[in-house]
Amino acid sequence: MAEKWRTEKKRPTIKVLPWPAIPAPTVDEVYAGVDEKRKEYSLWVESAVRQQFNADKPESLDGIRVLDMTANMEIGHWCSSHFSELGAEVIMVEPPGGDPIRKLTPFGREEYMFQSKNGEKVGARYLSEARNKFSVTLNLETEQGRALLKKIIPQVDILIENAPPGHYDKLGIGYRQLSEINPRLIYMWVGQRGQWGPLKDDAGNLDPTAQCSMGFTHGTGAPVSFGGTPTRSGWWLCDHVGGTFSAIGAMAALYARERFLGKGQFVECTAAEGVIRIIDYNWAWQGMDGSIRPRYGNWDLAINIYAVNPCADGQIMVGGGHDRLWFRIWRTVGKDKPELEQHICEDPKLRVVTDRLPHYMQVETYTTMCEWTKDKTRNEAETALQAEEVASGGVSFLDEVCEFPHYKYRGHVEIVDDLNFGKVLIGASGFIGMNTPGRIKWVGRTTGQDNEDVFRRLAGIDREGLTAFKKGGVI
Amino acid sequence: MAIDKSLKDMTFEDYCRTVFNTKNRYDKPEVLKGIRVVSTTQYILGPSCAAYLAELGAETIKVELPKRGEPMRHTTPFNEPFLYPLSRWMPDKGTGLGFFGANPNEYFLSLDFHKPEAIQIMKRLAAKTDVFAENYRAGTFDRWGIGARQHAQVNPRVIYQWMGGFGGWGPGRNRASYDILGQAQGGCFSITGWHKEYGGMPSKQTIWIMDYWGGAISAFNILACLYWRDNVSGKGNFLEYSQVHGAQRHLTDFISIYGKTGVVPQRFGNFEPLLCVHGILKCGKSSYPNSKNPQEQEVGFCLVSAYKDDDFQKLCKMINRPDLAKKYATHSDRVGADAQTAIYPELEKFAADKTKEEVDKACKANGILSQPVWNSKEVASNEHWHMRGTLQWLDDPTFGDVLTQGPAYQLSDTPARVRWAFKPVGADNEYILSKLCGYSGSKIADLEQKEII
Repeated sequence: MAEKWRTEKKRPTIKVLPWPAIPAPTVDEVYAGVDEKRKEYSLWVESAVRQQFNADKPESLDGIRVLDMTANMEIGHWCSSHFSELGAEVIMVEPPGGDPIRKLTPFGREEYMFQSKNGEKVGARYLSEARNKFSVTLNLETEQGRALLKKIIPQVDILIENAPPGHYDKLGIGYRQLSEINPRLIYMWVGQRGQWGPLKDDAGNLDPTAQCSMGFTHGTGAPVSFGGTPTRSGWWLCDHVGGTFSAIGAMAALYARERFLGKGQFVECTAAEGVIRIIDYNWAWQGMDGSIRPRYGNWDLAINIYAVNPCADGQIMVGGGHDRLWFRIWRTVGKDKPELEQHICEDPKLRVVTDRLPHYMQVETYTTMCEWTKDKTRNEAETALQAEEVASGGVSFLDEVCEFPHYKYRGHVEIVDDLNFGKVLIGASGFIGMNTPGRIKWVGRTTGQDNEDVFRRLAGIDREGLTAFKKGGVI
Repeated sequence: MAIDKSLKDMTFEDYCRTVFNTKNRYDKPEVLKGIRVVSTTQYILGPSCAAYLAELGAETIKVELPKRGEPMRHTTPFNEPFLYPLSRWMPDKGTGLGFFGANPNEYFLSLDFHKPEAIQIMKRLAAKTDVFAENYRAGTFDRWGIGARQHAQVNPRVIYQWMGGFGGWGPGRNRASYDILGQAQGGCFSITGWHKEYGGMPSKQTIWIMDYWGGAISAFNILACLYWRDNVSGKGNFLEYSQVHGAQRHLTDFISIYGKTGVVPQRFGNFEPLLCVHGILKCGKSSYPNSKNPQEQEVGFCLVSAYKDDDFQKLCKMINRPDLAKKYATHSDRVGADAQTAIYPELEKFAADKTKEEVDKACKANGILSQPVWNSKEVASNEHWHMRGTLQWLDDPTFGDVLTQGPAYQLSDTPARVRWAFKPVGADNEYILSKLCGYSGSKIADLEQKEII
């Protein structure tokens, strides 16, 4: 099959339109024809949380200092992004030469990398999680590097690292040693499967190690009988989820410190355990009768109708498990093909919500549904279903996502005009709020851009000292 | 505070096992003890947000409709497994397993919002709470007089978290949403699964990821707001999380690449566009060919990770293909799409007569990173997760022994913990109403008779 793959040479040139290709709708267009009473609430929320007013508002974690010492893994960067979006001062501590992720770009293609003003090229994966963060380089394998770190530690609230289990402890910069310098330090280790226990991480583990080791991959994709295989997520899902949980863990430790504890603590969070926490009913089901969660493609084991099914130009999602929506969906279908509505609504085996869940009933439901969707484009099906207020929508590709009017209007995707990297299109902060919203101030820094600032400010190193460190390979 | 002398001399592994020991969880303080959360939420997004706070020790009161409870109680795979009873009014019905994970440690109050007395009770609760989470249609609570604006007048310290599909403003504000719609319309489907030319199609993430993850970042935001309230400003907050927003946050570099080059990223199956070799191989044999469970009869899959140059050399030596080692000597030789699609089939030839355990063992023996693809049974029976408290057999006060997930993170001094999986509908009506509203026994009986609770 490899021959069928579009080869490098045949890649088409694409004309890039500036984003947004179609302007976002204006306030008047959005609320045209809506009566005053209903409009009033929406306008209030909009005025309370719209991102364009963010710069005038305080930040909830202003004054907190975070050292992100993780490298070559996304989980730590994802975790510190939570803090940097909410205003903490996050300093990325990278090995000299930069975090290896900086160099990663899909298929090694340089044209996908972003070039800074000083000529350094940085991959998009790294850049999108370098938001609002500073960058310093520090070689922790050297004695001088560790001494420098220890000078900074008393002024740090949270430290995040992902070295191989016990490595920093051996080097004398683990929690046991650093907590003696700064008892208020919150020290967090992040990784794939853990720093202790029988399955503890090997050096170099990366997602999807976590995805494979906790049952996610086995459960994603189509069943064997449908020609499917276990499938990994297209992005580093476990790192993202684990990163969010590690942020909760660190934030809880910070809150506990201020509230009653008065001291920091040792925190650990892993990518695999983040998803184990949220993988639905797998464990309860396994514990109850030994069931292994099967792959079920784009359908759902526990809700019918709740699926993505093929249509004329792609796939369409339709959802409505309980009666109210179930009948609305079939009413919509019945407008074009009354025989399909009749077939489903007159079937006594499909009358009660819970009776629709067994596998053969799901097959019947979706086969009938596809009889209708197969002639419809995503847009036609969506419009027809939306008219009945059914949750539905086409499977969107990246261009459609970035141009989706609702996302554009709400600023889910935004252009950041960065000092270093110019204009970068980026997924906005998920923290929307009235008093302390999250925000993106800059996209990223070049490797070690803040060395001078940070080391002079926090460690009191003078210019000669910095030059000496640079020569000695310490920074 | 100095570390205890004996802890100082331990090996690192023993030290971790001591400070994170799950058996001592109950001997340690809780972070959110004394913080009250009122959660009027359904399905997963809202409940999971409240659950993460409940795990940390917040007194979380879940408000749901009387008798049948919230819809998630009736959601269970293939309609088979249930835990009984659903409520004191319906002892013959059970709660589905979909309810797991998003409702531990909570107190359950049943309340019918459509009656005016119920609104009075809500107002009393709101006056005494720190966090108020809801996921009704945007503006509904505002209309009923228990929205963020009314809360702020009564209790300016409350953190009001609204969670839902498309948000309360913008062109799509009236649209309904589910987790899977967030995944589909947010763009997550389009990059997961195999390419069309490989017979694949956009695929769903098996979990309700937009819900559970959205709950998690909302919980993080609430913690940050609590911090800001208690240490900085004394003020509450109004927060909004929209489910479809989560998807764009996950698309990180794909969005930036689209913005720069106009390229619409596609699916690359079980391979990794950024690294090679770092993909999941199909192994030719099943690990349990004689099992009766079709899930176990399947052939195995194994992740092999050898993207560094010397690791790749070792890998080529292991599969006895020195020509590959020579041809793809550097990472930039390997990582191109053409090279990747040429390398993986060669590796799969090596795995064609092996089970996933055999491939894993061969890789480990040669110093290459690997991880077999485990199913939920293999994960659930692994000692590692039980030792770390990630999975646990919980002696639940209502339902007896259940296997359930524990907190995702470990804190050495103030760990999160699971005290009970969940309770039947309205299990804590008397406790909540007498404690927080000061209602007498006869008043509560009266409310129950009027079907308000």
